[in-house]
Amino acid sequence: MSSEAPYIRESLAQQSLDILRQRADSLAQSDEVEVAAEITSLLLFRLGEEWYAVPIAGVREIINDFVLTPIPRVPEFIRGVMNVRGEIVSVTDIAAMMRIASEAKGVGLQLPSVIVVRNERCVSALVVDEIGDIVDVARTLVEPPLATLDRSQVEFIGGSIYLDGKLVGIVNLDRVLEPIGENA
Amino acid sequence: MVEFDRSAFISKFQEEATEYLQRLNEGVITLEAEPKNRELIDQMLRDAHTLKGSSRMVGLIEISDVAHRLEDIMVKVRDGDMAYVPEMSDAFFEALDTIVFLSDNAGKEVAGETDIPSLLARLATIAGDAADVEPTAAERTLEEPQTLAESKSADSKKTPKKKSSPKKAIHDEETLQTRVQHTVRVRTEQVDRLLNLVSEVVIAQIKDEQRSRDLRGLLALMNESHQMWSRVRTAAANYSTQDSLAHAEDLDMLDELLVDQRRRLAGIVKAYSDDASRASTVVTDLQEHSMALRMLPVSTVFNAFPRSVRDLAHQFNKDVELEIEGGDTELDKKVLEEINDPLIHIMRNAVDHGIESTVVREAAGKPAKGTIHLAARQEGDHIVIEISDDGAGIDPEKVRAAAIRKGYITPAEARAMSDREATYLIFDAGFSTSAIITEISGRGVGMDVVREYIVEKLKGSLDVTSVLGEGTTFRLTIPLTLAIIRALLVSVDGRKFALPTASIEETLRIDPSEIIKVEGRVVIRRQRRTIPIVYLTEVLGIDAPSGGGRKLPVVTVGFSGHRIGFVVDAFVGEQQIVIKTLGTHLLRVDNVAGVTILGAGEVVPILNVPDLMHHARQMAGMGARRAEVKVDSGPRRILICEDSFTTRELERSIFEAAGYEVETATDGAIGLAKLREGLRVHAVVTDVQMPNMSGFELTRAIKSDSILKVIPVVIVTSLEREEEKAEGIEAGADAYITKSVFNQDTLIETVERLIG
Repeated sequence: MSSEAPYIRESLAQQSLDILRQRADSLAQSDEVEVAAEITSLLLFRLGEEWYAVPIAGVREIINDFVLTPIPRVPEFIRGVMNVRGEIVSVTDIAAMMRIASEAKGVGLQLPSVIVVRNERCVSALVVDEIGDIVDVARTLVEPPLATLDRSQVEFIGGSIYLDGKLVGIVNLDRVLEPIGENA
Repeated sequence: MVEFDRSAFISKFQEEATEYLQRLNEGVITLEAEPKNRELIDQMLRDAHTLKGSSRMVGLIEISDVAHRLEDIMVKVRDGDMAYVPEMSDAFFEALDTIVFLSDNAGKEVAGETDIPSLLARLATIAGDAADVEPTAAERTLEEPQTLAESKSADSKKTPKKKSSPKKAIHDEETLQTRVQHTVRVRTEQVDRLLNLVSEVVIAQIKDEQRSRDLRGLLALMNESHQMWSRVRTAAANYSTQDSLAHAEDLDMLDELLVDQRRRLAGIVKAYSDDASRASTVVTDLQEHSMALRMLPVSTVFNAFPRSVRDLAHQFNKDVELEIEGGDTELDKKVLEEINDPLIHIMRNAVDHGIESTVVREAAGKPAKGTIHLAARQEGDHIVIEISDDGAGIDPEKVRAAAIRKGYITPAEARAMSDREATYLIFDAGFSTSAIITEISGRGVGMDVVREYIVEKLKGSLDVTSVLGEGTTFRLTIPLTLAIIRALLVSVDGRKFALPTASIEETLRIDPSEIIKVEGRVVIRRQRRTIPIVYLTEVLGIDAPSGGGRKLPVVTVGFSGHRIGFVVDAFVGEQQIVIKTLGTHLLRVDNVAGVTILGAGEVVPILNVPDLMHHARQMAGMGARRAEVKVDSGPRRILICEDSFTTRELERSIFEAAGYEVETATDGAIGLAKLREGLRVHAVVTDVQMPNMSGFELTRAIKSDSILKVIPVVIVTSLEREEEKAEGIEAGADAYITKSVFNQDTLIETVERLIG
């Protein structure tokens, strides 16, 4: 027993040395890390027939089965507010905002699922018809939004990308999350 | 003045100064290349000014002096009295470096290492007024061989000046350190986060108590079933047949089980109730103490007022003294932040319109010097602040006349108004703000702002009493804290809404036959008063069939001398509620002041009483003018120029709802192009800051076009500075609405008045 102890200590020392070495290596490889930053992750979601995406960096959480509280006299694309663990979050009907047909229209106060998105200033929950996968794509593949987009949509779409041959619009969160009621 | 410990703020200052110094350094460089960059000059001027002020606050007089000289130079550059030439940069950099050095070594003995007087002299030479500068504060102290630390201590401690020794400085350092240990500086956001969590705990506690009640109910149910079981058991024993005997053992066991269950449940219920009630006491204390964390004496705001009043008196050429009482009354910091502006507005009005000139006062037999009395005191869970002046008082006749002149009320309406109601007109948004542009009378500047702050933001109430010739008293009643209020929960169309109890006069159940029509208004008679009646669903724009039939629940709400009864579907109950905002996305919503979360996690909107009253008054026919205007004209078209999507859509929906045809443009250039292409509109509503062409430029272009110049232009903007307002007027705008007072009615009313 006692003869083993120094050995263990030695191996611990060895392990920590290894860890340090690995760290040093990874720091030396910072070039590769930058390459990794050229990859962007997107969360896909469906509105009506079409698929859209939000940058995963702007997604805070996904919430299923929540209760909506309507607020009177707000713009049409604001469905109301919801209670996220004591925090009040507005519920944005992004389809109504972009004037796209979607299934969420007729749904009552029980909504299936929302994507809670945020930027530095605001948090809001987006009502979507279906939540899809998270995909990693190279930034270089992101193209400017299609010129053929409807005028009412174009300001909400920051870029577009082809995934499996389908065109996916990437939502411009800063535009969607513009505060309502007052402009700072 | 309270003596306060400056050393604790020095590190804060250093942090702040680094940012300003960095920007000033960069500024000097850019300025060399673009000596006429107005924006940069303004920015540098502001930075130098801030440095001057904050260094003086922490007692670093030398820094303040150097920054002061920089500011002098920048003022001259800005005003065009001198041009910035690259030769100045050296002195600038030297000045900035000196500030960095002084700031880094704040509190240390460094006087020997820099030559501040000569630097100041050089800067003064650049500013071109070397001859007539007074010796600055530091120069005066530096005439004696004092160290920085000592001059600081002399400044902060009001001790009679004596030859200080290094020992004294060390002693000071020690007392400062021991003092620091008694308090902890915490960022407000941290306290807010804590308070937010505390309110969550309060909500959890409410739920807990509900569960405890549910459990007691369950126990009562259990007791009942056990009694019934005992009866059944006795009865069953009488029938004792062969079969039942066979089950006797099972029955005994069941009986035992039931007794045991009941005993255990009783134990749990008791333990749970005890815990819940103990926790309730703790939570109440926790809530009280954490609220107290954010409490500050009102003197933190009041102390700046004597100076403001002096300046105002000077500005309006009056002789006024301010008396302050109750400065140590404590108030939630959030509330304190909001009361400064309304108080300033009220005092400004008192100086401008209340207090008469010395000549008039003497002729009226009053003391030559006017007095404004500012007093704060606590009354229950409210703070009352009174501002009284011994001036001329408000003349209801003059207010009526002004309101008629501005088209805000009709002569008939004016006659129907009591003096008291007429006096309250000064708080109406339409009365004071809509006039700011069309006639810059300077009259009643922003009394509606007072109303907005006190009533809308602080959920308080506002009262004014005035005796002609003797003076005016404004009485603000403000809740101690913004976090919790009592509210009445009502329901309409199956949805719950909360109404702050403070503004409710009474709740009634009226028979539908009591509702009568008088002069086109729907009213009820109540103790010889006529109260207009409005359905809450209508005000909130909710489509719902009105109940009808049985007795109607009505809440009467009083506000600013008006009273309106709102018909609801049911009263749900009255309770304390924790106020939450609508989140970071919805900043301002008509009719809704915020939300609360009920025990069950249910979110309930809290109604905004002033908004409700405003809309209700219009619906009840009191704002009949609007309807008339709409009837006698065909569809009106307006052009909205606004780069922000939400604001544009909001404005569009407001105008469309009022029956307008709406054209939009995302910036001034597009808007102007549309107009030049022949788009005919009745009015243009424009933002100021837009790409390509600003609202001011657009206004100028419209007003200088021989065909377009007849179109009224309304500027809607977040800019609130006087110069910018002036720029808007100068550009030829017909009205100027700031977004902070922006709601759909001011917008529509303003446009309609202009088209009218």
